Amino acid sequence: MKLGLKSICLAGAIFLMACAQNKEAEEVDYRLKWLFNVSTVGDLYAENRGYFMRHGLKVNVKPGGPERDALKELELGHAQFGVASADQVLRAAAKGAPILVLAQLFQVNPLHWIYRPDQISFSSGDDLKGKRIGVTFGGNDEAILRALLARYGIAENQVTLFSVRYDYMPFYEKRVDFWPLYLNAQAVIIGEKLEKAGEPFAFLSPDQLGVRFVANSVVTTREMVEKRPETVKRFLAALLEGWRDALDPRHEEQAIQVLLEADRETPEAVVRRQLPVTRELMLPPAGIAFGTIDTAAWKQTEAILRSQKLIPGPVDVESLLFTFK
Amino acid sequence: MLHRRIYQFLIIYAIGLGLLLALKYGLNLSDYVIPSPDEIVRTGRSYGGPYLLAVLNTLAVAILGHILAIGLATLVAVIGRLTAWIGSFIRTAAYNIQAYPIVAVAPIIFILLGDGLQSRLLIAAMICYFPLLLSFIGVFSEPIREIEHFYESTGRMTWRLQIKIRAFENIQKLTTVIVGSATMAMVGTIVAEFIAATAGIGYSIRIALYQSDLAKILVALFWIGVGTSFYLVSLEWVGNALQKRLRSL
Amino acid sequence: MPLEGRHISYRYPNSAGEVFTDLNFRLNSPGFHALFGPSGVGKTTLARMLSGAIKGYAGEMIENEMRRVLYTYNLERLPGWSNVRVHFEEVAPAADRRRMEELIETFDIADQAGSRFHRLSLGQQNRANLIRYLLQEFDLLIMDESLANVDELTREKIILKIKAVYPERCFLYISHNVAEVAKFCSQVFVLRSPSRSPQLVAAQGCDHREGDESDPGRLERAMLEIVHAA
Repeated sequence: MKLGLKSICLAGAIFLMACAQNKEAEEVDYRLKWLFNVSTVGDLYAENRGYFMRHGLKVNVKPGGPERDALKELELGHAQFGVASADQVLRAAAKGAPILVLAQLFQVNPLHWIYRPDQISFSSGDDLKGKRIGVTFGGNDEAILRALLARYGIAENQVTLFSVRYDYMPFYEKRVDFWPLYLNAQAVIIGEKLEKAGEPFAFLSPDQLGVRFVANSVVTTREMVEKRPETVKRFLAALLEGWRDALDPRHEEQAIQVLLEADRETPEAVVRRQLPVTRELMLPPAGIAFGTIDTAAWKQTEAILRSQKLIPGPVDVESLLFTFK
Repeated sequence: MLHRRIYQFLIIYAIGLGLLLALKYGLNLSDYVIPSPDEIVRTGRSYGGPYLLAVLNTLAVAILGHILAIGLATLVAVIGRLTAWIGSFIRTAAYNIQAYPIVAVAPIIFILLGDGLQSRLLIAAMICYFPLLLSFIGVFSEPIREIEHFYESTGRMTWRLQIKIRAFENIQKLTTVIVGSATMAMVGTIVAEFIAATAGIGYSIRIALYQSDLAKILVALFWIGVGTSFYLVSLEWVGNALQKRLRSL
Repeated sequence: MPLEGRHISYRYPNSAGEVFTDLNFRLNSPGFHALFGPSGVGKTTLARMLSGAIKGYAGEMIENEMRRVLYTYNLERLPGWSNVRVHFEEVAPAADRRRMEELIETFDIADQAGSRFHRLSLGQQNRANLIRYLLQEFDLLIMDESLANVDELTREKIILKIKAVYPERCFLYISHNVAEVAKFCSQVFVLRSPSRSPQLVAAQGCDHREGDESDPGRLERAMLEIVHAA
C-alpha cells in the first residue's frame, strides 16, 4: 500500500512539472513557404526533436502552399514567423509591409534549368541565344531568366520562351531545351528518369552565371522584434540549431525519418537523394554561420526586380535585414 | 442605359471593394495585404486593357463551349427519349458524372490535348453539359399528354413534332437552365485556365497570385463581372425575345 | 353490328377491386349515343378501352366495322406556336376546308380562330379541340366531357350540327347531363358500379334531330328510364 501511495505521488509530481513546463512554453505559429518537403527539413527537425521546447517555445510549424502567403499571415497576426523568398519579401516591403528578415536558408537558389548536354552546347550565358527555354510566367524563374538574358545582352526575341505547367512531357519529348526545376526537389526525380533512359543531363545554375536571386528566408514583423525581442531571439536560436543539426551528415538518418513522417508523398529513396543536394545549397562556406544573410545577394535581387519593374520603386534592403547585435 | 444586371454587379463590386478598404484602414494593413485605392486605379489603367482582352478571350471560349454543350445535350436528350431504358441510363450516368468536379479533370485534359483552344473549349463544354443534359432529358422525355394525345391517336405524331411540342411547352424552363449554365461555363473556363492554361483571364489571375498582387486580381474580377453580366443579359434577351415571338398574336 | 364488348372485366394495376365485372354492351348502329353514369364509375376507363389505349383486360372486344376509334377529352390543348385556324388547316385535308369553316361558324369560334389557343376561353378551347377531331377520319368518336364549359344553347347547336353533318358516323358522348343525353342521344349506356349486375344497362334516348318536333312526354320517360337504370 505504501508503494502504491508513493507511485501516485510521483506520478502526480511529474504531471505537475509537465503542466508547469507547458505553462511556461510560449506558443507561436510558424508558416512555411510550401508544403512539407526536403526544403523544410530543418524546420521540422527543430520542432520534432524538441529544439523549440528547450528554448521555452511551443512552435506550430504549418505547411505553406499555393494559396498561402506567410507575409500576409504575419501582417494579419495569424503567424508570428514565416518563410518567404526574397522576391516576396521585397514586393511586400515595397508596399509598406512591416517585415524583417531574420535568416537566409538557401545560400544558393535551388532554381536551376535542366538540359541535355549531348544535344545542347552550353558553356556560358551567351549560349542561351536561339534556345527554347521553359519558364513559369509570373514566377521566380521568369524574373531570374530575364535577369540572365539582360546580363548577357540577349533580347527576348532571340530566345523562345515556353510556358511551363506542372507536367514535364514537353521536356521529355525534347520540345524544350531548358526546363526550370528545383535542384533539390524535381531534379532528383527527372534526373533519375533520364538516367534510366540513358540520357545525360546537366544543370544551368543562374548563381554560377552571376545572377544571384535569394530564395527562402525566415521572416517576422517589426512589431515582433520591437515588442517581443526575447521570443524572436529564442525562436531564431532554436531554429538555426535545428537546421544545423538536420543538415549535419551525422544526423542524416534522423532527419530523413522526421521528413518521411511529415511528407508522406515523396518516396524514401527520393528523399535520401534530395537531402545531400539540399545540404549543398543551404550550407554557407566554412567559417560562416548557418542562416547568415548575404546582403550583396539581396541587393542584387532587389536590382533585378526593380529593373524588371516588378517592384514600383527602390527598396532599402539593409533596413529589411535584421541581425541581433 | 445599362441593364439592371450590370448595375447590380457594379453595386456588388463597389460594396465588396468598400468592405476591403474598410478592413484595410480599420486594421491598418499595408498595401501588400490590401492595395490602396491609388494602386488599384494605377493597376486598372495599366492592366485594364490586357485584362479586358483576356476576359473576352475567356468569354469567347465559354460561349463556344456553352453552345457546344447545348447542341450535344439536345442531341443526346433527343436520343434519350427513344426508349425508357436508354433515357434512364443516360439520366443516371449524367446525374452521377455531374457530381464529379470536372475542373479536377482539367489537368489531365491539358496534358492530353495541350494548351490550345481545344482543351479550354472541352472543359467549358463539359462543365455545363451535364446539368443541361439532365434538364433537357427531363423535358424531352416527359410527355405533354394534353397536346400529344391528338397526334398519337390520329397517327400524325413524329419524333420532330414530339420534340417541338415538349420544347415549346417548356421554353421557360429551358431558357432558365441555359442562362444558369452560362455562368457555369464562364466560371469553369476561368478555373480551368487558372489550373493549367496559358491564355485567358484565369491564367492572368494565376500570375497575379504568384505575385501576390491583389490589385491585379481586383481588376480581373471587375472585367470578369462585366463580361459575365453582358453575356447573361444577352442570353436573357434572346430567351425573352424568343418567348415573346412564340406567344404573340 | 358495329361494336360489341363481351364479359369485360378489368382491375387497375396495383388495385384490390375490379372496376368492371363481366361487362357487356352492344353498340348497334351509327348515331349519336351516350355513356352515362356517376363520377368515378369508370366511364373514362371504358372509353379508353374502346379506343385501344387500355389493354390487358379480360373478355372480348369485337370491333367489326369500328376500326378507327378516336377518344377526345376536355383537357386537351392545341400547340401554342400558331393560331387555331392554322392548326385546323394542318390536320384537315384540303377537301374538307369548307366543312372546317362550317364547323368554325356553327361552333361559334369564328372570331377567335385567328388567335392562339391560350387566348381562348375554356369553352372556346373545348370547341376548337372538338372541331379538329371532327375533321379526322373515324368510325367512332368518343367525346369525354368535350362540351364542358359551353353554354346550353351552343351545346344544343353543336350536337345537332354533328348529327346533321355526320349521320353515318358513330359518336359516344360522355356527359353528366341526364336531360341532354335523354334528348339528343339514341342509345344511352348507363354504367353502374361493379357490385350491380348487369353493370351496363342500355336505355333509349329521344335522338332528337334538327327540325324534329319537341316531345316533352317522351323526353320525361327517357330521363326516368336513365335515372332509374343509374
